[in-house]
Amino acid sequence: MAFDLSAIGSQFFVGLSRSMILFIVCSGLSFVLGVLRVPNIAHGSLYMIGAFAAYTITKLFPGPEGFWLALVLSPLIVALVSFVAERVLFCHLYQREHLMLLLFTFALMLILGDLVKMIWGAEYRSVMAPDSFSGPVTIFGASIPRYNVFLLIIGPLVAIGLWLFTNKTKIGKIARAAAVDREMVGAVGINVSWVFAFAFVLGCFLAGLGGALVAPTVSITLGMDHNLIIEAFLIVTIGGLGNMWGAMVGSLIFGLTQSFGVLFWPQYAIVFPYTAVVIILIWRPKGLLKSVW
Amino acid sequence: MSKRRFSGIVLLGLVVAFTLTMLPALSEARNIKVGVIDCYSGPAAVFGNDALNGFKLALEEINKKGVLGGKIDFTTRDTKFKVDIGLNMAKELVMRENVDVLAGTINSGVALAVSQEVAKREKVPLIVWISKSEKITGELGNRYTFSTAENTAMAGKAGAVGLAKKPYVKYWIAGDDYEYGHAIADAVWKNLKALKPDVQKIGESWWKIGEPDLVPYLTSIMAAKPDAVIFATGGASMTNCMKALKTTGFAAKIPSWIHTAIDHAVLKPLGAGAPEGVMGTIQYLFYYPDTPQNKAFVKAFQDRYGAPPGFPAFNAYITAELIAAAFTKAGSLDKEKFIDAMEGLKVKNPVGGLVEMRACDHQIIYPMYFGTTKKVPQYDFLIASDIMTLTGNEILPTCEEVLETRKK
Repeated sequence: MAFDLSAIGSQFFVGLSRSMILFIVCSGLSFVLGVLRVPNIAHGSLYMIGAFAAYTITKLFPGPEGFWLALVLSPLIVALVSFVAERVLFCHLYQREHLMLLLFTFALMLILGDLVKMIWGAEYRSVMAPDSFSGPVTIFGASIPRYNVFLLIIGPLVAIGLWLFTNKTKIGKIARAAAVDREMVGAVGINVSWVFAFAFVLGCFLAGLGGALVAPTVSITLGMDHNLIIEAFLIVTIGGLGNMWGAMVGSLIFGLTQSFGVLFWPQYAIVFPYTAVVIILIWRPKGLLKSVW
Repeated sequence: MSKRRFSGIVLLGLVVAFTLTMLPALSEARNIKVGVIDCYSGPAAVFGNDALNGFKLALEEINKKGVLGGKIDFTTRDTKFKVDIGLNMAKELVMRENVDVLAGTINSGVALAVSQEVAKREKVPLIVWISKSEKITGELGNRYTFSTAENTAMAGKAGAVGLAKKPYVKYWIAGDDYEYGHAIADAVWKNLKALKPDVQKIGESWWKIGEPDLVPYLTSIMAAKPDAVIFATGGASMTNCMKALKTTGFAAKIPSWIHTAIDHAVLKPLGAGAPEGVMGTIQYLFYYPDTPQNKAFVKAFQDRYGAPPGFPAFNAYITAELIAAAFTKAGSLDKEKFIDAMEGLKVKNPVGGLVEMRACDHQIIYPMYFGTTKKVPQYDFLIASDIMTLTGNEILPTCEEVLETRKK
């Protein structure tokens, strides 16, 4: 089958924009993994809560301002939930084995899933992007939905923001240091507990942001947490655990192999991203970029 | 304890047990017990609850008069959308609760398992009310299994009959990569090819069930420039698909057909943001046909449950009517007589007219509607317009075709 350049172009941009959402969520997961060493399976649930919160906010404030408000507020709501979870539960568990933490966060995922069902019910929900985002736009002959263009702008902004934060601010530097050697950070007299709380809340904030951003492109439903968390762990693993740029590389690989797989071999498109993951893990079992573990 | 005393107790126990088991048979009239197994948790619960409400509404009316001197009772079990749980629940309902009839299920896997392992084996009638697998009354059909749901064969044929009237030639097929998706795609394509031999399939795409983002799939299909697209999707992917059809500008460029696209359970959550011009098929619309019967049905339902009935409520309402009518016709609570009475039985369609339980394969016969999504001023969500009514016989595979699949 012949493909014109515009088809390849639009597939590229669409894949890229999907990668941006994956990156935002995965960078949060990776950050928590790196600094706290917690494999947080409930990260997907926080992403789901972000999406449901965005739904409620857009219902309360119909019109475009509701959407923008949702983008700001739902990550904050998720951050609040995670702050409570961190102070009440997680902060007592950091010293435990990874297996314990895995089980604990798995349990938390089930609890949060049920909580979402109790609050929002089992029905599908849908958030509409503001009218200014509806319909496609043409870039170099490639037709892409406007909303995906917006995602293409937001993704790099988040990446830059996160980089500036971890490299230029004091607390970011402490968090990075804690990722490498937490005993040492404690030994120099820094209150590690609060650094951890902050890192955890920041990671979860990103999950909430991802959820709010994805809301207009999908149906918001129970189970969206499970779908995401598997992909997110794969991405974080192939990128290198705890490495933010690794999360970026992993997301790009995942998003692009998927969208090009769909273009070239649509019947078997599902297989492409996973095949890429398998190849990378055989080639570099510790991930593409440096893992902090 | 002495041996004699022990055997005395055993004997007494036996007498008590025997009397207890005989009790229902001795009493003149007893209530009919329907065991409902369906999904009441997770995303599928929307449909399970809608069906249950339709069933309850019908029973209210039926129990005013009673059936064979008693009433119809029911008890529900949640399958959690899992085959093993559903199967255990069905067994429990039959063994412990002694239900007369089983009904329910949205999950085709549950429906097929219960049909084979419980209905057929224990000789208890099962009426499936949402599951759409054509195997339920087709390939794996049996004396004890009935369906009041439209199945993939009917939906596919309805889609094909509607599409054959349109001028499209080059088709692309896309859908959820699981049984429902493939079954519906195969059924549409087989029938469309038969009705209009010059149609061509220029490509296919299949995404994993629950795929969150369908945009890359749609942009790649647009690049292939088909005349029309057949989407074989349902559930949560359905909403994703509709949204992506809108945001990519797909709906404005390429016509598409999706089986339940005109269902208000799909359109309502999307509000005014749903794409216009998407074709769909369904067996029940609360605003069409605009008959007094349908209006009364919608009003009664809306008053009780706060929302208009969906197609599951419609199917389950008919199920209740059939159960009542069949027991009345059979004149007894005997399960075999109930089945004989069900075959060819006609009951009122809530929108007017009659529906029939086809004797040869135990599949319900009712019309389906083919329409196109459209914005209208009176609702804040889209509804179906340009509705074509396809008669039951037009969209059902013939008895011969169905019985042929059972021979394999």
